[in-house]
Amino acid sequence: MFWGFRLEFKQSLRTKKLWVILGVMMLLYLPGFYLQKASGEEIETVQQAVSILINNVNGLGGFFIAILALLMGATAINSEIEKGTLRVAMSKPIKRLSYIGGKFLAHTVVVLMALLLTTLVGIVGLAWLGAPMGSQLVTDSLLLNGLLLLAMVQLVALGYIISTFIKSSSTALGVALVVMFVVFMIMPAIVQFVAAKDTLLSENPDWEAYQEKSEEYKTKYLFYVPTTQIDVIVSDATVVKGDVTNPSVEYVGIGHAIKSNLANLFNLVFLTLVYLAIAFYRFLRMDLR
Amino acid sequence: MMKIENLVKLYKDVRALDGLSLEVKPGQVYGFLGPNGAGKSTTILSTLGLIFPQEGRIELFGLEVFRDGKFNEENLVEAKRQIGYMPEHATLWDFMTPVQTLDVIGEAFEIPKAEREKRVRELLELVNLWDDRNRKVGKFSKGMRQRLLLAQALINDPELLILDEPMTGLDPTGIAEFKDIIREQKKVGKTVFFSSHILAHVEEICDTVGVIVKGKLRVEDNLERIKREFLKRGGYTIILETNVPVDFTGAEWKVSPLGEKKYRIVAPEDIREQLHDFVSARGAKILTMQVKEPSLEEIFLKMVE
Repeated sequence: MFWGFRLEFKQSLRTKKLWVILGVMMLLYLPGFYLQKASGEEIETVQQAVSILINNVNGLGGFFIAILALLMGATAINSEIEKGTLRVAMSKPIKRLSYIGGKFLAHTVVVLMALLLTTLVGIVGLAWLGAPMGSQLVTDSLLLNGLLLLAMVQLVALGYIISTFIKSSSTALGVALVVMFVVFMIMPAIVQFVAAKDTLLSENPDWEAYQEKSEEYKTKYLFYVPTTQIDVIVSDATVVKGDVTNPSVEYVGIGHAIKSNLANLFNLVFLTLVYLAIAFYRFLRMDLR
Repeated sequence: MMKIENLVKLYKDVRALDGLSLEVKPGQVYGFLGPNGAGKSTTILSTLGLIFPQEGRIELFGLEVFRDGKFNEENLVEAKRQIGYMPEHATLWDFMTPVQTLDVIGEAFEIPKAEREKRVRELLELVNLWDDRNRKVGKFSKGMRQRLLLAQALINDPELLILDEPMTGLDPTGIAEFKDIIREQKKVGKTVFFSSHILAHVEEICDTVGVIVKGKLRVEDNLERIKREFLKRGGYTIILETNVPVDFTGAEWKVSPLGEKKYRIVAPEDIREQLHDFVSARGAKILTMQVKEPSLEEIFLKMVE
Protein backbone atom coordinates (compact mmCIF):
# COMPACT_ATOMS: atom_id res chain seq x y z
CA MET A 1 0.00 0.00 0.00
CA PHE A 2 2.81 2.38 0.89
CA TRP A 3 4.47 1.89 -2.50
CA GLY A 4 1.33 3.13 -4.24
CA PHE A 5 0.99 5.91 -1.67
CA ARG A 6 4.55 7.23 -2.09
CA LEU A 7 4.31 7.11 -5.88
CA GLU A 8 0.97 8.88 -6.04
CA PHE A 9 1.90 11.43 -3.38
CA LYS A 10 4.99 12.50 -5.31
CA GLN A 11 2.96 12.59 -8.49
CA SER A 12 0.07 14.59 -7.03
CA LEU A 13 2.36 17.24 -5.61
CA ARG A 14 3.71 17.81 -9.09
CA THR A 15 0.41 18.23 -10.88
CA LYS A 16 -0.41 21.65 -12.28
CA LYS A 17 -4.06 21.24 -11.20
CA LEU A 18 -3.08 21.38 -7.53
CA TRP A 19 -0.96 24.50 -7.73
CA VAL A 20 -3.22 26.41 -10.11
CA ILE A 21 -6.29 25.82 -7.92
CA LEU A 22 -4.42 26.65 -4.71
CA GLY A 23 -2.94 29.73 -6.38
CA VAL A 24 -6.34 31.02 -7.50
CA MET A 25 -7.75 30.37 -4.04
CA MET A 26 -4.98 32.34 -2.38
CA LEU A 27 -5.44 35.19 -4.82
CA LEU A 28 -9.05 35.43 -3.69
CA TYR A 29 -8.19 34.97 -0.01
CA LEU A 30 -5.79 37.85 0.33
CA PRO A 31 -8.03 40.66 -0.99
CA GLY A 32 -10.72 39.41 1.42
CA PHE A 33 -8.51 40.18 4.39
CA TYR A 34 -7.50 43.48 2.89
CA LEU A 35 -11.15 44.50 2.49
CA GLN A 36 -11.90 43.39 6.04
CA LYS A 37 -9.11 45.59 7.33
CA ALA A 38 -10.13 48.51 5.10
CA SER A 39 -13.70 48.36 6.47
CA GLY A 40 -12.31 49.22 9.91
CA GLU A 41 -14.50 46.61 11.64
CA GLU A 42 -12.73 45.27 14.71
CA ILE A 43 -12.72 41.58 15.57
CA GLU A 44 -13.18 41.71 19.30
CA THR A 45 -13.71 38.13 20.47
CA VAL A 46 -12.20 34.74 19.75
CA GLN A 47 -15.67 33.53 18.75
CA GLN A 48 -15.88 36.23 16.12
CA ALA A 49 -12.47 35.27 14.81
CA VAL A 50 -13.44 31.59 14.64
CA SER A 51 -16.64 32.48 12.87
CA ILE A 52 -14.74 34.46 10.22
CA LEU A 53 -12.20 31.68 9.83
CA ILE A 54 -14.94 29.10 9.36
CA ASN A 55 -16.64 31.21 6.73
CA ASN A 56 -13.40 31.71 4.86
CA VAL A 57 -12.21 28.13 4.99
CA ASN A 58 -15.62 26.66 4.27
CA GLY A 59 -16.40 29.17 1.54
CA LEU A 60 -13.12 29.23 -0.33
CA GLY A 61 -11.74 25.81 0.55
CA GLY A 62 -15.13 24.17 0.23
CA PHE A 63 -15.36 25.41 -3.34
CA PHE A 64 -11.83 25.33 -4.73
CA ILE A 65 -10.57 22.25 -2.94
CA ALA A 66 -13.82 20.52 -3.86
CA ILE A 67 -13.02 21.16 -7.53
CA LEU A 68 -9.47 19.95 -6.96
CA ALA A 69 -10.64 16.79 -5.21
CA LEU A 70 -13.15 15.88 -7.91
CA LEU A 71 -10.77 16.58 -10.78
CA MET A 72 -7.92 14.72 -9.10
CA GLY A 73 -10.15 11.70 -8.60
CA ALA A 74 -11.66 11.87 -12.09
CA THR A 75 -8.26 11.47 -13.75
CA ALA A 76 -6.64 9.20 -11.18
CA ILE A 77 -6.92 5.90 -13.07
CA ASN A 78 -7.75 6.69 -16.69
CA SER A 79 -4.85 9.09 -17.22
CA GLU A 80 -2.47 6.43 -15.93
CA ILE A 81 -3.96 3.90 -18.32
CA GLU A 82 -3.53 6.37 -21.17
CA LYS A 83 0.09 7.01 -20.31
CA GLY A 84 0.81 3.35 -19.68
CA THR A 85 2.26 3.97 -16.22
CA LEU A 86 -0.48 1.86 -14.64
CA ARG A 87 0.53 -1.14 -16.77
CA VAL A 88 4.11 -0.71 -15.58
CA ALA A 89 3.06 -0.35 -11.95
CA MET A 90 0.61 -3.24 -11.96
CA SER A 91 3.05 -5.58 -13.67
CA LYS A 92 5.08 -5.47 -10.46
CA PRO A 93 4.30 -7.66 -7.43
CA ILE A 94 1.66 -5.28 -6.12
CA LYS A 95 -1.94 -6.19 -5.35
CA ARG A 96 -4.60 -4.09 -7.04
CA LEU A 97 -6.32 -3.28 -3.76
CA SER A 98 -3.13 -2.10 -2.10
CA TYR A 99 -2.26 0.01 -5.15
CA ILE A 100 -5.59 1.82 -5.33
CA GLY A 101 -5.70 2.06 -1.53
CA GLY A 102 -2.30 3.74 -1.51
CA LYS A 103 -3.28 6.03 -4.33
CA PHE A 104 -6.47 7.06 -2.55
CA LEU A 105 -4.60 7.65 0.69
CA ALA A 106 -2.14 9.89 -1.15
CA HIS A 107 -4.98 11.94 -2.63
CA THR A 108 -6.53 12.23 0.82
CA VAL A 109 -3.27 13.54 2.26
CA VAL A 110 -2.88 16.04 -0.58
CA VAL A 111 -6.41 17.33 0.01
CA LEU A 112 -5.75 17.54 3.75
CA MET A 113 -2.59 19.52 3.10
CA ALA A 114 -4.54 21.92 0.88
CA LEU A 115 -7.15 22.35 3.63
CA LEU A 116 -4.53 22.92 6.31
CA LEU A 117 -2.78 25.44 4.10
CA THR A 118 -6.08 27.27 3.64
CA THR A 119 -6.65 27.25 7.39
CA LEU A 120 -3.12 28.40 8.10
CA VAL A 121 -3.43 31.32 5.69
CA GLY A 122 -6.77 32.11 7.33
CA ILE A 123 -5.22 32.18 10.81
CA VAL A 124 -2.29 34.29 9.62
CA GLY A 125 -4.79 36.67 8.05
CA LEU A 126 -6.73 36.92 11.29
CA ALA A 127 -3.55 37.63 13.21
CA TRP A 128 -2.75 40.36 10.69
CA LEU A 129 -6.20 41.83 11.31
CA GLY A 130 -5.38 41.88 15.02
CA ALA A 131 -8.03 39.32 15.97
CA PRO A 132 -7.71 37.73 19.40
CA MET A 133 -6.42 34.15 19.31
CA GLY A 134 -7.55 31.37 21.60
CA SER A 135 -7.66 27.62 21.99
CA GLN A 136 -11.14 27.48 20.43
CA LEU A 137 -9.66 28.80 17.22
CA VAL A 138 -7.41 25.75 17.06
CA THR A 139 -9.95 23.14 18.14
CA ASP A 140 -12.74 24.44 15.93
CA SER A 141 -10.54 24.89 12.90
CA LEU A 142 -9.32 21.30 13.38
CA LEU A 143 -12.91 20.06 13.63
CA LEU A 144 -13.86 22.03 10.54
CA ASN A 145 -10.87 20.60 8.67
CA GLY A 146 -11.94 17.12 9.68
CA LEU A 147 -15.44 17.76 8.36
CA LEU A 148 -14.21 19.30 5.15
CA LEU A 149 -11.78 16.44 4.69
CA LEU A 150 -14.69 14.01 4.84
CA ALA A 151 -16.49 16.00 2.18
CA MET A 152 -13.40 16.19 -0.02
CA VAL A 153 -12.69 12.49 0.38
CA GLN A 154 -16.23 11.82 -0.81
CA LEU A 155 -15.52 13.93 -3.88
CA VAL A 156 -12.24 12.13 -4.55
CA ALA A 157 -14.14 8.84 -4.31
CA LEU A 158 -16.81 10.14 -6.69
CA GLY A 159 -13.99 11.16 -9.02
CA TYR A 160 -12.56 7.63 -8.81
CA ILE A 161 -15.90 6.23 -9.96
CA ILE A 162 -15.80 8.58 -12.97
CA SER A 163 -12.18 7.64 -13.58
CA THR A 164 -12.83 3.91 -13.59
CA PHE A 165 -15.86 4.12 -15.84
CA ILE A 166 -14.67 6.71 -18.38
CA LYS A 167 -11.56 5.69 -20.24
CA SER A 168 -10.57 9.05 -21.67
CA SER A 169 -9.17 11.40 -19.04
CA SER A 170 -10.23 14.50 -20.96
CA THR A 171 -13.82 13.21 -21.24
CA ALA A 172 -13.71 12.36 -17.54
CA LEU A 173 -12.61 15.91 -16.73
CA GLY A 174 -15.56 17.24 -18.73
CA VAL A 175 -17.97 14.89 -16.97
CA ALA A 176 -16.55 15.89 -13.58
CA LEU A 177 -17.09 19.56 -14.37
CA VAL A 178 -20.66 18.89 -15.51
CA VAL A 179 -21.29 16.88 -12.31
CA MET A 180 -19.83 19.75 -10.32
CA PHE A 181 -22.04 22.27 -12.09
CA VAL A 182 -25.27 20.25 -11.94
CA VAL A 183 -24.93 18.65 -8.52
CA PHE A 184 -23.20 21.47 -6.69
CA MET A 185 -24.84 24.50 -8.22
CA ILE A 186 -28.07 23.69 -10.03
CA MET A 187 -29.52 21.12 -7.62
CA PRO A 188 -28.94 23.24 -4.50
CA ALA A 189 -30.50 26.24 -6.27
CA ILE A 190 -33.60 24.19 -7.14
CA VAL A 191 -33.92 22.86 -3.60
CA GLN A 192 -33.48 26.34 -2.15
CA PHE A 193 -36.16 27.64 -4.49
CA VAL A 194 -38.59 24.89 -3.48
CA ALA A 195 -37.94 25.68 0.18
CA ALA A 196 -38.47 29.39 -0.45
CA LYS A 197 -41.60 28.88 -2.53
CA ASP A 198 -43.77 27.89 0.42
CA THR A 199 -42.16 30.18 2.97
CA LEU A 200 -40.50 33.34 1.68
CA LEU A 201 -42.38 33.71 -1.60
CA SER A 202 -45.81 33.45 -0.04
CA GLU A 203 -48.07 36.30 1.01
CA ASN A 204 -46.65 36.21 4.54
CA PRO A 205 -42.91 35.61 4.22
CA ASP A 206 -41.59 33.59 7.15
CA TRP A 207 -37.80 33.63 7.45
CA GLU A 208 -37.64 31.10 10.29
CA ALA A 209 -39.88 28.65 8.46
CA TYR A 210 -37.67 29.05 5.41
CA GLN A 211 -34.55 28.31 7.46
CA GLU A 212 -36.11 25.16 8.85
CA LYS A 213 -37.46 23.98 5.51
CA SER A 214 -34.19 24.74 3.77
CA GLU A 215 -32.20 22.70 6.29
CA GLU A 216 -34.69 19.85 6.09
CA TYR A 217 -34.67 19.78 2.27
CA LYS A 218 -30.87 20.02 2.11
CA THR A 219 -30.57 16.98 4.33
CA LYS A 220 -33.25 15.02 2.47
CA TYR A 221 -32.74 16.00 -1.15
CA LEU A 222 -29.11 17.08 -1.29
CA PHE A 223 -27.66 14.21 0.74
CA TYR A 224 -25.29 13.53 -2.17
CA VAL A 225 -23.78 17.05 -2.12
CA PRO A 226 -21.07 16.92 0.54
CA THR A 227 -20.42 20.66 0.58
CA THR A 228 -24.12 21.30 1.27
CA GLN A 229 -24.03 18.81 4.13
CA ILE A 230 -21.09 20.74 5.56
CA ASP A 231 -22.99 24.01 5.14
CA VAL A 232 -25.92 22.58 7.07
CA ILE A 233 -23.64 21.51 9.91
CA VAL A 234 -21.55 24.67 9.98
CA SER A 235 -24.61 26.94 9.90
CA ASP A 236 -25.48 25.63 13.36
CA ALA A 237 -22.14 26.78 14.77
CA THR A 238 -23.83 30.13 15.31
CA VAL A 239 -27.25 30.71 16.77
CA VAL A 240 -29.38 33.82 16.63
CA LYS A 241 -30.78 34.83 19.98
CA GLY A 242 -33.07 37.59 21.13
CA ASP A 243 -36.11 38.91 19.28
CA VAL A 244 -36.50 40.22 15.75
CA THR A 245 -35.95 43.82 16.81
CA ASN A 246 -32.79 43.07 18.77
CA PRO A 247 -31.15 39.91 17.47
CA SER A 248 -27.76 38.75 18.69
CA VAL A 249 -25.59 36.19 16.94
CA GLU A 250 -23.81 33.80 19.26
CA TYR A 251 -21.07 31.41 18.27
CA VAL A 252 -21.62 28.00 19.88
CA GLY A 253 -18.88 26.02 18.15
CA ILE A 254 -18.38 23.34 15.52
CA GLY A 255 -18.57 20.56 18.09
CA HIS A 256 -22.07 21.65 19.03
CA ALA A 257 -23.01 21.98 15.37
CA ILE A 258 -21.86 18.42 14.62
CA LYS A 259 -23.84 17.03 17.55
CA SER A 260 -26.96 18.81 16.31
CA ASN A 261 -26.61 17.45 12.76
CA LEU A 262 -25.67 13.81 13.04
CA ALA A 263 -27.86 12.92 10.03
CA ASN A 264 -25.71 15.14 7.83
CA LEU A 265 -22.54 13.62 9.25
CA PHE A 266 -23.99 10.19 8.51
CA ASN A 267 -24.72 11.26 4.92
CA LEU A 268 -21.10 12.29 4.53
CA VAL A 269 -19.62 9.10 5.95
CA PHE A 270 -22.07 6.66 4.41
CA LEU A 271 -21.90 8.00 0.87
CA THR A 272 -18.12 8.19 1.03
CA LEU A 273 -18.02 4.51 1.90
CA VAL A 274 -20.51 3.65 -0.86
CA TYR A 275 -18.54 5.61 -3.49
CA LEU A 276 -15.30 4.05 -2.36
CA ALA A 277 -16.76 0.58 -2.49
CA ILE A 278 -18.01 1.14 -6.05
CA ALA A 279 -14.74 2.66 -7.26
CA PHE A 280 -12.54 0.03 -5.62
CA TYR A 281 -14.71 -2.85 -6.80
CA ARG A 282 -14.64 -1.50 -10.33
CA PHE A 283 -10.85 -1.08 -10.24
CA LEU A 284 -10.37 -4.62 -8.96
CA ARG A 285 -12.36 -6.00 -11.91
CA MET A 286 -11.40 -3.68 -14.75
CA ASP A 287 -9.16 -4.29 -17.73
CA LEU A 288 -6.14 -2.01 -17.49
CA ARG A 289 -5.72 -1.42 -21.21
CA MET B 1 7.58 -21.65 -17.07
CA MET B 2 4.58 -20.04 -18.76
CA LYS B 3 1.64 -22.10 -19.84
CA ILE B 4 -1.57 -20.79 -21.34
CA GLU B 5 -4.49 -23.12 -22.00
CA ASN B 6 -7.64 -22.35 -23.98
CA LEU B 7 -7.65 -18.68 -23.13
CA VAL B 8 -10.70 -16.76 -24.26
CA LYS B 9 -11.02 -13.01 -24.09
CA LEU B 10 -14.01 -11.15 -25.45
CA TYR B 11 -14.16 -7.41 -25.97
CA LYS B 12 -17.92 -7.03 -26.31
CA ASP B 13 -18.60 -9.17 -29.40
CA VAL B 14 -15.01 -9.43 -30.59
CA ARG B 15 -13.12 -12.61 -29.68
CA ALA B 16 -9.65 -11.17 -29.09
CA LEU B 17 -8.42 -14.54 -27.83
CA ASP B 18 -10.19 -17.58 -29.14
CA GLY B 19 -9.04 -20.59 -27.15
CA LEU B 20 -5.36 -19.68 -27.24
CA SER B 21 -2.89 -22.21 -25.87
CA LEU B 22 0.87 -21.88 -25.77
CA GLU B 23 3.81 -22.92 -23.66
CA VAL B 24 7.10 -21.17 -23.02
CA LYS B 25 9.82 -23.41 -21.64
CA PRO B 26 12.72 -22.31 -19.43
CA GLY B 27 15.63 -20.85 -21.36
CA GLN B 28 13.65 -20.23 -24.54
CA VAL B 29 13.62 -17.01 -26.50
CA TYR B 30 10.07 -17.18 -27.73
CA GLY B 31 8.97 -14.88 -30.53
CA PHE B 32 5.26 -14.17 -30.48
CA LEU B 33 4.27 -13.11 -33.94
CA GLY B 34 1.05 -11.85 -35.36
CA PRO B 35 -0.45 -9.08 -37.43
CA ASN B 36 -1.86 -6.00 -35.70
CA GLY B 37 -4.96 -6.85 -33.70
CA ALA B 38 -4.18 -10.58 -33.64
CA GLY B 39 -4.23 -10.69 -29.83
CA LYS B 40 -0.54 -10.43 -28.92
CA SER B 41 -0.87 -7.66 -26.34
CA THR B 42 -4.11 -9.15 -25.00
CA THR B 43 -2.24 -12.41 -24.34
CA ILE B 44 0.55 -10.62 -22.53
CA LEU B 45 -1.78 -8.42 -20.48
CA SER B 46 -3.83 -11.47 -19.49
CA THR B 47 -0.72 -13.29 -18.37
CA LEU B 48 0.19 -10.40 -16.08
CA GLY B 49 -3.31 -10.09 -14.65
CA LEU B 50 -3.83 -6.69 -16.23
CA ILE B 51 -6.93 -7.78 -18.10
CA PHE B 52 -9.51 -10.40 -17.26
CA PRO B 53 -10.03 -13.22 -19.76
CA GLN B 54 -13.36 -15.00 -19.59
CA GLU B 55 -12.12 -18.58 -19.83
CA GLY B 56 -8.98 -20.66 -19.76
CA ARG B 57 -6.02 -21.26 -17.53
CA ILE B 58 -2.66 -19.55 -17.01
CA GLU B 59 0.27 -21.03 -15.16
CA LEU B 60 3.46 -19.16 -14.30
CA PHE B 61 6.47 -20.87 -12.70
CA GLY B 62 4.23 -23.81 -11.85
CA LEU B 63 1.74 -21.58 -10.02
CA GLU B 64 -1.81 -21.45 -11.28
CA VAL B 65 -2.50 -17.72 -11.56
CA PHE B 66 -5.76 -17.83 -13.51
CA ARG B 67 -8.55 -20.31 -13.99
CA ASP B 68 -12.00 -19.82 -15.52
CA GLY B 69 -12.44 -16.12 -15.05
CA LYS B 70 -10.62 -15.71 -11.74
CA PHE B 71 -7.10 -14.70 -10.88
CA ASN B 72 -5.36 -16.14 -7.84
CA GLU B 73 -3.83 -12.87 -6.66
CA GLU B 74 -1.44 -14.47 -4.17
CA ASN B 75 0.05 -16.69 -6.87
CA LEU B 76 0.05 -13.86 -9.38
CA VAL B 77 1.98 -11.54 -7.08
CA GLU B 78 4.41 -14.35 -6.28
CA ALA B 79 4.96 -15.07 -9.97
CA LYS B 80 5.41 -11.40 -10.81
CA ARG B 81 8.41 -11.25 -8.50
CA GLN B 82 10.27 -13.22 -11.15
CA ILE B 83 8.89 -11.40 -14.19
CA GLY B 84 10.15 -8.33 -16.00
CA TYR B 85 7.66 -6.65 -18.31
CA MET B 86 8.19 -4.00 -20.92
CA PRO B 87 4.87 -2.68 -22.24
CA GLU B 88 4.09 -1.37 -25.68
CA HIS B 89 3.18 2.33 -26.07
CA ALA B 90 3.95 3.29 -22.50
CA THR B 91 5.78 6.13 -20.85
CA LEU B 92 7.15 6.26 -17.37
CA TRP B 93 6.57 8.99 -14.82
CA ASP B 94 7.58 12.21 -16.57
CA PHE B 95 8.56 14.06 -13.42
CA MET B 96 11.15 11.50 -12.35
CA THR B 97 14.73 11.02 -13.45
CA PRO B 98 15.83 7.56 -14.69
CA VAL B 99 17.53 6.94 -11.35
CA GLN B 100 14.34 7.79 -9.42
CA THR B 101 12.25 5.69 -11.79
CA LEU B 102 14.34 2.57 -11.42
CA ASP B 103 14.61 3.16 -7.68
CA VAL B 104 10.81 3.30 -7.33
CA ILE B 105 10.39 0.15 -9.42
CA GLY B 106 13.10 -1.54 -7.36
CA GLU B 107 11.17 -0.64 -4.20
CA ALA B 108 8.14 -2.49 -5.57
CA PHE B 109 10.30 -5.63 -5.63
CA GLU B 110 11.53 -4.88 -2.11
CA ILE B 111 15.14 -4.85 -3.26
CA PRO B 112 17.35 -3.51 -0.42
CA LYS B 113 18.52 0.08 -0.90
CA ALA B 114 22.23 -0.64 -1.37
CA GLU B 115 21.56 -3.39 -3.86
CA ARG B 116 19.04 -1.20 -5.62
CA GLU B 117 21.54 1.61 -6.08
CA LYS B 118 24.06 -0.80 -7.54
CA ARG B 119 21.50 -2.35 -9.87
CA VAL B 120 20.21 1.05 -11.02
CA ARG B 121 23.70 2.09 -12.08
CA GLU B 122 24.37 -1.24 -13.85
CA LEU B 123 21.13 -1.04 -15.78
CA LEU B 124 21.46 2.60 -16.77
CA GLU B 125 24.93 1.84 -18.07
CA LEU B 126 23.60 -1.21 -19.90
CA VAL B 127 20.96 0.82 -21.74
CA ASN B 128 23.27 3.81 -22.22
CA LEU B 129 21.31 6.21 -20.07
CA TRP B 130 23.83 6.77 -17.28
CA ASP B 131 24.91 10.13 -18.69
CA ASP B 132 21.26 11.21 -18.69
CA ARG B 133 20.56 9.90 -15.21
CA ASN B 134 19.64 13.30 -13.80
CA ARG B 135 17.39 14.45 -16.63
CA LYS B 136 13.65 14.23 -16.27
CA VAL B 137 12.06 11.38 -18.21
CA GLY B 138 9.57 13.90 -19.63
CA LYS B 139 12.42 15.39 -21.68
CA PHE B 140 13.46 12.03 -23.13
CA SER B 141 13.14 11.01 -26.78
CA LYS B 142 11.04 7.99 -27.73
CA GLY B 143 14.14 5.82 -28.08
CA MET B 144 15.45 6.84 -24.65
CA ARG B 145 12.08 6.06 -23.09
CA GLN B 146 12.13 2.62 -24.70
CA ARG B 147 15.57 1.96 -23.27
CA LEU B 148 14.43 3.04 -19.83
CA LEU B 149 11.38 0.78 -20.15
CA LEU B 150 13.72 -2.10 -20.87
CA ALA B 151 15.89 -1.18 -17.89
CA GLN B 152 12.89 -1.15 -15.54
CA ALA B 153 11.91 -4.59 -16.81
CA LEU B 154 15.34 -5.90 -15.80
CA ILE B 155 15.51 -4.33 -12.33
CA ASN B 156 14.59 -7.55 -10.51
CA ASP B 157 16.91 -9.71 -12.64
CA PRO B 158 13.82 -11.59 -13.84
CA GLU B 159 13.69 -15.25 -14.78
CA LEU B 160 11.07 -14.44 -17.39
CA LEU B 161 11.28 -11.31 -19.47
CA ILE B 162 8.05 -10.36 -21.26
CA LEU B 163 8.48 -7.73 -23.93
CA ASP B 164 5.61 -6.27 -25.95
CA GLU B 165 6.82 -4.89 -29.30
CA PRO B 166 10.05 -3.81 -27.62
CA MET B 167 11.92 -2.46 -30.62
CA THR B 168 9.33 0.11 -31.67
CA GLY B 169 10.93 3.54 -31.74
CA LEU B 170 14.53 2.35 -31.47
CA ASP B 171 17.13 3.45 -33.99
CA PRO B 172 19.35 0.80 -35.68
CA THR B 173 22.04 1.13 -33.00
CA GLY B 174 19.41 0.81 -30.30
CA ILE B 175 17.96 -2.29 -31.98
CA ALA B 176 21.40 -3.89 -32.22
CA GLU B 177 22.09 -3.13 -28.54
CA PHE B 178 18.69 -4.43 -27.64
CA LYS B 179 19.30 -7.72 -29.46
CA ASP B 180 22.61 -8.06 -27.64
CA ILE B 181 20.82 -7.67 -24.33
CA ILE B 182 18.33 -10.40 -25.27
CA ARG B 183 21.15 -12.70 -26.34
CA GLU B 184 22.92 -11.99 -23.07
CA GLN B 185 19.75 -12.91 -21.16
CA LYS B 186 19.55 -16.18 -23.06
CA LYS B 187 23.21 -16.90 -22.40
CA VAL B 188 22.67 -16.66 -18.64
CA GLY B 189 19.70 -19.01 -18.86
CA LYS B 190 16.83 -16.51 -18.71
CA THR B 191 13.61 -16.96 -20.61
CA VAL B 192 12.41 -14.27 -22.98
CA PHE B 193 8.92 -13.97 -24.44
CA PHE B 194 8.50 -11.17 -26.86
CA SER B 195 5.87 -10.07 -29.28
CA SER B 196 6.63 -8.39 -32.53
CA HIS B 197 5.34 -7.87 -36.00
CA ILE B 198 8.84 -7.18 -37.31
CA LEU B 199 9.78 -10.62 -38.51
CA ALA B 200 13.46 -9.99 -39.12
CA HIS B 201 13.95 -9.31 -35.41
CA VAL B 202 12.22 -12.50 -34.40
CA GLU B 203 14.09 -14.58 -36.96
CA GLU B 204 17.39 -13.27 -35.72
CA ILE B 205 17.08 -13.82 -32.00
CA CYS B 206 14.31 -16.33 -31.29
CA ASP B 207 14.66 -20.06 -31.13
CA THR B 208 10.93 -20.72 -30.86
CA VAL B 209 8.15 -18.95 -32.65
CA GLY B 210 4.41 -18.83 -32.08
CA VAL B 211 2.17 -17.24 -34.67
CA ILE B 212 -1.16 -15.88 -33.50
CA VAL B 213 -3.89 -14.97 -35.96
CA LYS B 214 -7.35 -13.81 -34.88
CA GLY B 215 -6.79 -14.93 -31.32
CA LYS B 216 -5.66 -18.43 -32.19
CA LEU B 217 -2.20 -19.89 -32.29
CA ARG B 218 -1.61 -21.06 -35.86
CA VAL B 219 1.77 -22.61 -35.20
CA GLU B 220 4.21 -22.96 -32.34
CA ASP B 221 7.53 -24.61 -32.95
CA ASN B 222 11.25 -24.36 -33.37
CA LEU B 223 12.05 -21.97 -36.20
CA GLU B 224 13.95 -24.55 -38.24
CA ARG B 225 11.15 -27.08 -37.99
CA ILE B 226 8.59 -24.47 -39.04
CA LYS B 227 10.64 -23.78 -42.14
CA ARG B 228 11.05 -27.48 -42.97
CA GLU B 229 7.33 -28.02 -42.52
CA PHE B 230 6.60 -25.08 -44.73
CA LEU B 231 8.92 -26.47 -47.42
CA LYS B 232 7.19 -29.83 -47.18
CA ARG B 233 3.80 -28.21 -47.59
CA GLY B 234 4.73 -26.76 -50.94
CA GLY B 235 6.86 -23.80 -50.32
CA TYR B 236 9.73 -24.85 -52.63
CA THR B 237 11.17 -22.09 -54.73
CA ILE B 238 14.01 -23.01 -57.09
CA ILE B 239 16.11 -20.54 -59.01
CA LEU B 240 17.37 -22.32 -62.10
CA GLU B 241 19.98 -21.26 -64.65
CA THR B 242 20.50 -23.24 -67.87
CA ASN B 243 22.99 -23.10 -70.77
CA VAL B 244 20.26 -22.56 -73.37
CA PRO B 245 16.66 -21.34 -73.11
CA VAL B 246 14.22 -24.07 -72.08
CA ASP B 247 10.59 -24.38 -73.10
CA PHE B 248 8.65 -25.23 -69.96
CA THR B 249 5.35 -25.79 -71.77
CA GLY B 250 3.62 -28.80 -70.25
CA ALA B 251 5.45 -28.58 -66.94
CA GLU B 252 3.33 -29.07 -63.83
CA TRP B 253 5.08 -26.35 -61.91
CA LYS B 254 4.68 -22.61 -61.81
CA VAL B 255 7.53 -21.11 -63.84
CA SER B 256 8.38 -17.46 -64.19
CA PRO B 257 11.32 -16.31 -66.30
CA LEU B 258 13.93 -14.16 -64.55
CA GLY B 259 16.03 -13.71 -67.72
CA GLU B 260 16.66 -15.44 -71.04
CA LYS B 261 18.08 -18.57 -69.38
CA LYS B 262 17.08 -18.02 -65.74
CA TYR B 263 13.81 -19.16 -64.16
CA ARG B 264 11.97 -19.12 -60.83
CA ILE B 265 10.11 -22.38 -60.30
CA VAL B 266 7.64 -22.90 -57.50
CA ALA B 267 6.58 -26.46 -56.81
CA PRO B 268 4.58 -28.22 -54.11
CA GLU B 269 7.49 -30.59 -53.27
CA ASP B 270 11.18 -31.15 -53.79
CA ILE B 271 11.39 -31.50 -57.60
CA ARG B 272 15.11 -31.20 -58.07
CA GLU B 273 15.47 -34.66 -59.67
CA GLN B 274 12.43 -34.27 -61.94
CA LEU B 275 13.67 -30.87 -62.94
CA HIS B 276 17.03 -32.31 -63.93
CA ASP B 277 15.31 -34.92 -66.12
CA PHE B 278 12.93 -32.34 -67.62
CA VAL B 279 15.76 -30.00 -68.64
CA SER B 280 17.97 -32.85 -70.02
CA ALA B 281 15.03 -34.18 -72.06
CA ARG B 282 14.92 -30.77 -73.79
CA GLY B 283 18.62 -30.88 -74.66
CA ALA B 284 19.69 -28.33 -72.09
CA LYS B 285 22.03 -28.40 -69.13
CA ILE B 286 21.56 -26.97 -65.66
CA LEU B 287 24.31 -24.52 -64.82
CA THR B 288 23.12 -23.57 -61.34
CA MET B 289 20.17 -24.64 -59.22
CA GLN B 290 19.42 -22.88 -56.00
CA VAL B 291 16.71 -23.91 -53.60
CA LYS B 292 15.51 -20.75 -51.92
CA GLU B 293 14.50 -21.18 -48.28
CA PRO B 294 11.41 -19.26 -47.34
CA SER B 295 11.96 -16.33 -45.03
CA LEU B 296 9.94 -16.13 -41.88
CA GLU B 297 8.08 -13.29 -43.51
CA GLU B 298 6.93 -15.57 -46.34
CA ILE B 299 5.83 -18.23 -43.88
CA PHE B 300 4.11 -15.64 -41.75
CA LEU B 301 2.22 -14.15 -44.68
CA LYS B 302 1.15 -17.60 -45.83
CA MET B 303 -0.16 -18.39 -42.36
CA VAL B 304 -1.98 -15.13 -42.00
CA GLU B 305 -3.67 -15.76 -45.36
